[in-house]
Amino acid sequence: MRILRLGPLGITTHRRTFAVGLALLALLAALLLFALSAGKADIGVLDSLRAAVGIPVGAPADFIVGQVRAPRALTAVLVGAMLGLSGAILQSLTRNPLASPDFIGISMGAGTGAVLTIWLVTASSLWVTAAAAAAGALATAALILALSWRRRGIVPLRLILAGIAVGFVAQATTQYLLTRMDVHDAGNALAWLVGTTTGRTWTHVTVAAIVMAVLAPIVLWNARALRTMEMGEDTARGLGIAVGPARATLAVCSVLLAAGAVAVTGPVGFIALVAPALALRVTRNAGATLIPSALMGATLLLAADQLAQQMPATLQFPVGIFTAVVGAPYLLWLVWRASRGGPA
Amino acid sequence: MRTRALVTLAAAAVLLVAVALSLAIGSRSIDLGTVWEAIVRYDPTDPLQQIVRELRASRTVIGLLAGAALGVAGALMQALTRNPFADPGLLGINAGASLAVVLGLSTGLATGFAAQVPLAFIGAGLAAVIVYAIGARGAAAGAPVRLALAGVALTALISSVTYAVLMVDDATLDQFRLWVAGSLTGRQADDVAALVPVVLVAIAAALVASRQLEAVALGEDTARSLGVRIGGVRTVVIVLVTLLAAAATAAAGPIVFVGLAVPHLARALVGASLPWLVIVSALGGAALMLVCDVVGRVIAPPGEIGVGITTAFIGGIIFALMARRMKVVEL
Repeated sequence: MRILRLGPLGITTHRRTFAVGLALLALLAALLLFALSAGKADIGVLDSLRAAVGIPVGAPADFIVGQVRAPRALTAVLVGAMLGLSGAILQSLTRNPLASPDFIGISMGAGTGAVLTIWLVTASSLWVTAAAAAAGALATAALILALSWRRRGIVPLRLILAGIAVGFVAQATTQYLLTRMDVHDAGNALAWLVGTTTGRTWTHVTVAAIVMAVLAPIVLWNARALRTMEMGEDTARGLGIAVGPARATLAVCSVLLAAGAVAVTGPVGFIALVAPALALRVTRNAGATLIPSALMGATLLLAADQLAQQMPATLQFPVGIFTAVVGAPYLLWLVWRASRGGPA
Repeated sequence: MRTRALVTLAAAAVLLVAVALSLAIGSRSIDLGTVWEAIVRYDPTDPLQQIVRELRASRTVIGLLAGAALGVAGALMQALTRNPFADPGLLGINAGASLAVVLGLSTGLATGFAAQVPLAFIGAGLAAVIVYAIGARGAAAGAPVRLALAGVALTALISSVTYAVLMVDDATLDQFRLWVAGSLTGRQADDVAALVPVVLVAIAAALVASRQLEAVALGEDTARSLGVRIGGVRTVVIVLVTLLAAAATAAAGPIVFVGLAVPHLARALVGASLPWLVIVSALGGAALMLVCDVVGRVIAPPGEIGVGITTAFIGGIIFALMARRMKVVEL
């Protein structure tokens, strides 16, 4: 047991959690270096680092690394961290390992927004569609928060139920629109139903960084409350936690993190569900592990994005496909091992 | 007990009305007298009676079948996993059926509905077997959660393969988007006739198994002390859920809402008693399915909206309002 303290911001951590956090950080850094330097044009590690932070090193590197690889990789890292954090909060609040922002309608709302613009404006520009996806995500987030807000604050279980319901409605709308549109447009629309990091620019990175910079400190500030609430509301209250406000703050943060992620990349599935589950398993913690979940999410998404980029031309699919291909078998394997008597 | 019996009667009455509506309403409205005659004294020369017998009867039967199957599958699934958000889809059933149909369309094996029914059934069944094999070995503690995790993981994996195929194959996407919207049209009763006994037997078996499953849901130690064989009960229930949900998906396409919401609403009415929950969920699921199908027929003339879309839409709105009002019942 080890306690890192910075004013009221106390992070209690087990030795193993700390080690896992460091290991994930190292893995993430290595992946990031690989993402910047490897690709069709091989660029030296040092040159690519310089180009990524804006120091001119020469013609191809400045553009390839500075304008293409760096924003794409950083988008993946930030969005992955947002999804991991969002999922960890939601799973801890609901005490349900299957709770995930994937299922509470935000992704579906974003998809509906995007498909709607593709249907209305046949030659819709990328930015219009992206803005519509963001608007769809935020509108859904607002709707489920409004639906689950009661006098005494947000009841997490109700948040999930409202989210599932809104998600069904959004998904049904999307499927209906898909049957109405030209099949070629429908094919294009599919790309918006699977998240992608292709073509992300520094603007995307800035948006993601701002969302993260605002929300992550609020979440960490409430981390102790979150972990205490896992022991039961009454216990938390007895220990002096203001349960209502803490829960509402955390729920709003979780939903906004997911909405921000979807607005930047579209609905990259599975990260928010799997990153916290994996973080719990490798740290062997009993309760929420926010920072490891965020690091795990970032690592998973960056790894999946690299896999997506290294694929031959016939297998070029959006990263949303690969997050499942990377994450799902690992989770299946963990479950398989647990079923045979290993640690659950 | 009295309230439960009353709720069951009310659900049966609602279902009866839904059947009548489903036979009478459509792009051509038919009065109930003619509908009744078509059932008891069929006159093949009357075009209206022909519509009832040839078109509406078969889609009503399919709706009843799929709705009841999904309602019961959902009730069992939620009791088994002790998770009020559990849906038969968690076993990977919708994803498995979708992939099978997409592969069938893409390879040209399953262009007609008659070929899609067995393919969807096999795909759904295979997915459930894999999920079960990975997630539910033995009766150790935590098996329900592992089962659900395995289901979610396999669903994500299969769906991404489905998406990948669809992205490169526009012709398949063109047909698949209609199948995935879920529909009761274009099916002849003969196509799904084989599924009827499967669903009826599975529902009967569910009623028999529900007492024991209820004991398992009380907790594993309690169940063991009551003499219930936990592993055996789980296996039976999983087989039943698989049969029911696969049959429903094969008959009507992937319907996402009924299996989740109907048992949830039923629980608010009859409490956690599983045998009653199974009965009310069967009646309610069938009624919801038929009403949604009727709405889909008339809402966007001259076309129709697939029942998968209307169930999600209507059910989703009801569910959102209920979620706001109801006392959330924990399992």
